[in-house]
Amino acid sequence: MRPSKGTSTSAAWFVVRRLAHDRSALVGLILIGALLLAALLAPVLATHPDDVFELHPALRLQAPSGNHWLGTDRMGADVYSRLLFGARITILIGVIAVGASLLIGVPVGLVAGHFHGWFSDLLMRVSDIFLAVPQVVLAIAIAQTLGPSLPNVILALSATYWPWFARVVYAETRVLQKEIFVESTVALGASPWRLTALHVLPNIASPIIVRASIGMGFTILTAAALGFLGLGPPPPTPEWGRTIAESREFLPDAWWYATAPGLAIFLTVMGFNLLGDGLRDVLDPRLRRGRTARDD
Amino acid sequence: MRLLALALHRLAWFVPTLLGLLVLTFVISRVIPADPVALVAGETATPAQVEALRRQLGYDRPLPVQFVDYLARLARGDMGTSIFTRRPIVQDLAHRLPATIELTVVAMVVSVLAGVPLGVVSALWRNSPLDHAVRVVTVSGLAIASFWLGIMLQLLFAMRLGWTPLNGRLQGFPPEAITGFYLVDAALTGDGPAFGAALRHLALPAATLAFPALATLVRFTRAGVLDVMQSNFVLYERAMGLPRPVIVWKYTLRSALTSTVTQIGLLFGILLAGAVVTEAVFDWPGIGTYAVSSILQSDYNAVMGFTIWAGTIFIVVNLLVDVVQTLVDPRERAT
Amino acid sequence: MIDRRSWLVAVLALVLLAVLPSAAAAQTRFVFANESPYDTMDPHAAFDVGRVAVRLNLYDGLYRWLDNPPKLEPWLAESHTVSPDGLTYTFKLRRGVKFHDGAEMTAEDLRYSAERILAMKKGAAALLATMIAPGSTKAVDRHTVQFTLTKPAAIFLAVVPEVHVVNSALLKKHEKDGDWGAAWLTSNEAGSGSYQLSRYDPAVGFIAKRFAGHFMPWGQKWIDEIEFRTVKEDNTRVLGMIKGDYQGTGGYLPNDQVKRLREAANVKIVEQESMRIKMFQINNQRPPLNDVHVRRAISYAFDYDGFNKDILGGSVERNPVPIPNNMWGVPRDVKGYTYNLDKAKAELALAKAKVDRPITIGYLQGFSQTEQAATVMANGLRKLGLDTKLTSEVWPTMVERMKKPETSPDLVVYWISTYYADPNNWIGEMFHSGQWGTFKASSFYKNPKVDELLDVALKSTDRKVREKAYQDAARIVVDEAAGIWVYNTKYFGPWAKNLEGIRFSPIGNGQEIRWVYYAK
Repeated sequence: MRPSKGTSTSAAWFVVRRLAHDRSALVGLILIGALLLAALLAPVLATHPDDVFELHPALRLQAPSGNHWLGTDRMGADVYSRLLFGARITILIGVIAVGASLLIGVPVGLVAGHFHGWFSDLLMRVSDIFLAVPQVVLAIAIAQTLGPSLPNVILALSATYWPWFARVVYAETRVLQKEIFVESTVALGASPWRLTALHVLPNIASPIIVRASIGMGFTILTAAALGFLGLGPPPPTPEWGRTIAESREFLPDAWWYATAPGLAIFLTVMGFNLLGDGLRDVLDPRLRRGRTARDD
Repeated sequence: MRLLALALHRLAWFVPTLLGLLVLTFVISRVIPADPVALVAGETATPAQVEALRRQLGYDRPLPVQFVDYLARLARGDMGTSIFTRRPIVQDLAHRLPATIELTVVAMVVSVLAGVPLGVVSALWRNSPLDHAVRVVTVSGLAIASFWLGIMLQLLFAMRLGWTPLNGRLQGFPPEAITGFYLVDAALTGDGPAFGAALRHLALPAATLAFPALATLVRFTRAGVLDVMQSNFVLYERAMGLPRPVIVWKYTLRSALTSTVTQIGLLFGILLAGAVVTEAVFDWPGIGTYAVSSILQSDYNAVMGFTIWAGTIFIVVNLLVDVVQTLVDPRERAT
Repeated sequence: MIDRRSWLVAVLALVLLAVLPSAAAAQTRFVFANESPYDTMDPHAAFDVGRVAVRLNLYDGLYRWLDNPPKLEPWLAESHTVSPDGLTYTFKLRRGVKFHDGAEMTAEDLRYSAERILAMKKGAAALLATMIAPGSTKAVDRHTVQFTLTKPAAIFLAVVPEVHVVNSALLKKHEKDGDWGAAWLTSNEAGSGSYQLSRYDPAVGFIAKRFAGHFMPWGQKWIDEIEFRTVKEDNTRVLGMIKGDYQGTGGYLPNDQVKRLREAANVKIVEQESMRIKMFQINNQRPPLNDVHVRRAISYAFDYDGFNKDILGGSVERNPVPIPNNMWGVPRDVKGYTYNLDKAKAELALAKAKVDRPITIGYLQGFSQTEQAATVMANGLRKLGLDTKLTSEVWPTMVERMKKPETSPDLVVYWISTYYADPNNWIGEMFHSGQWGTFKASSFYKNPKVDELLDVALKSTDRKVREKAYQDAARIVVDEAAGIWVYNTKYFGPWAKNLEGIRFSPIGNGQEIRWVYYAK
């Protein structure tokens, strides 16, 4: 039996202290911190902030130098500066898409988990439908239909990621239902909403948080894939995936052009993954064992 | 029996789920702004001719009617004709399926052959330098964008070193098509050069596809072995003085491998999904690139065809995995 | 006793005997890496440069465009006569021309082929249909074919090479539901050309073997087997050329790639003046682009030098009018527009229409040069304070969108290559209001004066009259800024260094392999 966690602030502190001891989770936090910093302070940290839309064709494809720390791209724009502004896009997409998926998926999972019978089956089968096609393909179809743009990418990603939240919440809710304390609360006559808000939600908060952190990494990778395929925000947006696609025809000579954005994606996603793993270890060690690839 | 109940329950939902998927895809594909009827009609067709063709193809009827008609034809095994290849979609899919399957299977083999031993070794020598190195690899494996990994591999091995071709499944015309799997066909016809060429072309895409799968497999194998190693009955064996290798081999590995096997089934589905992006990078003539180009070219029927195929595979694999999981570990109740 | 000298001779003789037969048996092969897929083998279904290898190598036409500057050479026809009223063209055919299956070519095959093109309504049909009507072509006798035009057309002769002759008996055998054998010909061939199809796969390409019985005599050396393969990525084609996997590929690669190829030991770059204009079509019908001042402002806002000299490394020439610089009919006194933001702003101030929405710029998926051009254009417009929205489509979808002014983007950037060597190929098809709906006419321009000039040029066969008409039309169109014309490109053809005999023409792009051989 898993008791509720007492007051939320002491629980939060407990988590933070445990997290602080996990070295890899700390690395994750640092990486995410760096990403946030880059995004927030891009105009300040960039050496050529205008290169987000400004072109200098005469300076194209120059190797990294004192003037251009990561070289220049096919339009002569500074790769480093565009990378920083790309971080903004990455965070925007990640936060909004995962947030929206959460807002859709959690209620669906709660309802499906709470009720029994055909309605709850129906909800889970609907989520199965969205999971049946590879997320990338469904996102491509949606993005292509609506037209490549930033809002549409976010829409496409939210529409394809919510089932993961729904499944986790559904599974946890079902497990919780069998817990004695829930049964006794019901026996005492508590309404389902009160039950959900006061008892169920706090207990499923941990898997949701873990899922959200891992989901950030996953979503950022899919967003980059969409950008790579040309379905993301149109040029001259400095989106990382698009930049990698642009760089291909200039390889192997302009190696910096492809390497920098790829490393940026890698470090970002790794940060979220490490943090997610750390959170998972701290918040619920029991989760580690029964893990299936499906939950990842 | 619980298993039977589960299987029947899932099967009962199989058709409605697939149907729901079809509805979703149908709606999406019909909402696409471009007009494929005009594309079929040709560059010089007049508007009147386009309308005539639209009536002939039945695209002027209301959507629900079109959908029912599509289902009816599907029941007869007719997925329609692709606008761009002008061939039946069933033929297109059959033509391209071997490419994706061959790639996925090779990637699967690579990731299992490399991943499982690595996971076991990593668990047995826990917290050793090897373990740490392996864990770094597994974390990176899930953080690297696979299209970027593919490009970096191309940069190093194809462009700088020249050890492998840049992309494609084969240069020019393939060996005699018996199974459609170039490696198999080349082996069956004793065509050494073709076999070598096919293998070289497979090297980079398979490596790219295998990397995240390998990372996942290592993780699970490692976790599985660790779990078993710490379980009570292994403790008992050790207390009884059984030599370590015996414990490892007879008990730990077997239990750990069982859970890994169920992961492999699921991994296959995930690999097929990952194939879409990898195929795009390496211009691999498989289902993934077919799906993407069909979407980009507004080829309605092809998109539907792909969705049916992918959806069916996923639902079936899901069901199988659930069944196997229930069979293997009654504690892990599938929900 | 055998002395050393005889030994040597004997050994040498043996060696030669061993080597010679194999040398004679060695087949020469040529592999060409093509950017676009060969989705059909039907010569009447396509008209574009991307698939020209099929038509040039497997089929023959009445005349053929050869060399640079392009000249019309008799091919299947030995000569022709034109009636005084300019309506009847009579072609005298060669005798003894054989199809690949052995049948002899007659005027009936030519008549059938012309009717087939018109009936299938693909490829060159759009152009031909404006000049000849179905049923009007006659096989006067076994070796004479006669075309009757609906009105005099100066370009008929220029377009006649596109009437490729097909084996009518063979096609009639494979006809299904009155499709003129189209379903069968998509994956087979019914030609008479220098090469005979031996293998075809739409996902890979095609292989063809030399047809020794071709009516045009073969030289001393030739290539036995040719393969045209689809290789989509620029980088793959370049690497393949460097490694020797391919012996030829398309000659319009980006400058960066051409530089790499120049440095390769086994590749040579054949450089030739070509006729291939890159331009932005402006949707003249859609406000605010229907205001000439807005269009002029946009014309002043594109960084021509930055694009041509920096991004393309000076490998292209600025071409300010909608006719290639090296074609007749260009008004030499017209300088066109330059990158001048002050002038652009001045024009914008004169405009009655206000630009209060983003301007859509369409470019082609898979052609990164169009994406880069669109980006440069967007940047210039941004400096004028104008918002832009970039949108990309694959070529067939873009062609679709460009059929109607309502669906076509505000600006679309692409190329117009040489389908036939005549100014009408560009300015005529781009700015005549009767051409709306074709992919070349997505300017949706309508000016009765220009229409009149273009009609005069089409009807007359007097070069001087035509030249003046095109020059006048070009002046008007440039003054009205009906489009933005960026450059005319050169052909930089990568070929294996040991190949000789390459004959380049802007229409065939050197892909006619019957002239080519290995010098060694």
